Amino acid sequence: MSLRIPQALTTAIVSIALTQPALAHEQAGVAGGLVSGLLHPITGIDHLIAMVAVGIWGAQLGAPAIWILPITFPLVMAVGGVLGVLHVPLPMPEVMIAVSAVILGVAVAARLRLPFAAAAVVVAIFAIFHGHAHGAELPRAANALAYGVGFVTATGLLHLCGIAIGTLTRWPAGERIIQGLGAGIAGIGCYFLAQGIGAFA
Amino acid sequence: MKLKSARALMSAAMVLAGANAAEAHIVAARLGDFYMGAVHPLTDLGDVVLWTATGMLAGTLGGAKARWLIPVFPLGLLVGLSLGNVFSATSAQLADATMMLAIGMLLAAAAQVPTLLLCAIAFAVAVIRGAANGADLGPETDRLLFAAGLAGVGYGAITLTMALTAVFRRTHSDSATSWRAIAVRALGGWIAAIGLMMASLTLAS
Repeated sequence: MSLRIPQALTTAIVSIALTQPALAHEQAGVAGGLVSGLLHPITGIDHLIAMVAVGIWGAQLGAPAIWILPITFPLVMAVGGVLGVLHVPLPMPEVMIAVSAVILGVAVAARLRLPFAAAAVVVAIFAIFHGHAHGAELPRAANALAYGVGFVTATGLLHLCGIAIGTLTRWPAGERIIQGLGAGIAGIGCYFLAQGIGAFA
Repeated sequence: MKLKSARALMSAAMVLAGANAAEAHIVAARLGDFYMGAVHPLTDLGDVVLWTATGMLAGTLGGAKARWLIPVFPLGLLVGLSLGNVFSATSAQLADATMMLAIGMLLAAAAQVPTLLLCAIAFAVAVIRGAANGADLGPETDRLLFAAGLAGVGYGAITLTMALTAVFRRTHSDSATSWRAIAVRALGGWIAAIGLMMASLTLAS
């Protein structure tokens, strides 16, 4: 008799656990949907640190970089994504991604003040390589719109995180913290660079 | 006795967990297709992104230009709905992606779009999305009720988005570099990037 309660409880739990929402649209539950697009840019540490570094550097550079980069960065990265999806080859993509982390990390650590046009070109080149890597790794079954929304939103939010961190430059102590972060990003970039050129093989 | 109360409790919990709300309204009285038309576009990312982008573009251009969309947009939805299944899945996706890219670029560039071009863009978006909504209709759906729901929600959504954008963007200096203007332009850049990604993925697959 006492066995009936656990049985009933199990039945109740199983019946509730097995209920599923009705999905009337194709954007949910597909390989490479919204969640997949959101997670893709934040699951590779080399991509993640470079995206954040771009935001921090933009904040350090101030106007107009701080407001032009959020507008153009996801778009330039999407151009790279298109090249990746269409399998247009780029030279040494993994090495370039690691180099981007090193250079952007050094730029943040050294408070490098390039003219805006030069900084924009550097960031655009790296954005194309990062976008290319994401596009090339994309699952073919991906829902185009859902994946695109997730991917661009995650990229933009990472960039905004960098800008938010970069606002610490208003305080002397915050500037030191940011320079330390830049050095850390450059260090991690060096690790990936060594990996990319086969130093650990 | 204790066992009985536990079982009764369990039964009550299961009954409550599986309970449905009583349907005392006209949804159950053959007007459900009106609500289906009103809710359907709000659950589709294509509609959400494109309607928002169109409303934002009009909102940034000011009330004098934006108010033309109040009749134009619902009318375009009705025209698109009447066309039905004229677009294949791939061409519909490409059309969506192209419109996202175009509207996103205009937003990001803070372009001063003429009224006629704005109306043409909004009408094109509405026709494309109206046809996409119409493609999902079953033979048993009352098309008139569905169209009324779709046009109603189109009117409400576009008007609300335009108004919210106009209010959000309004600043004392009205400077192109105010953070509100930059936020709207940045969102435009994101929408254009989504369109570009979508177009390439559609072409690749």
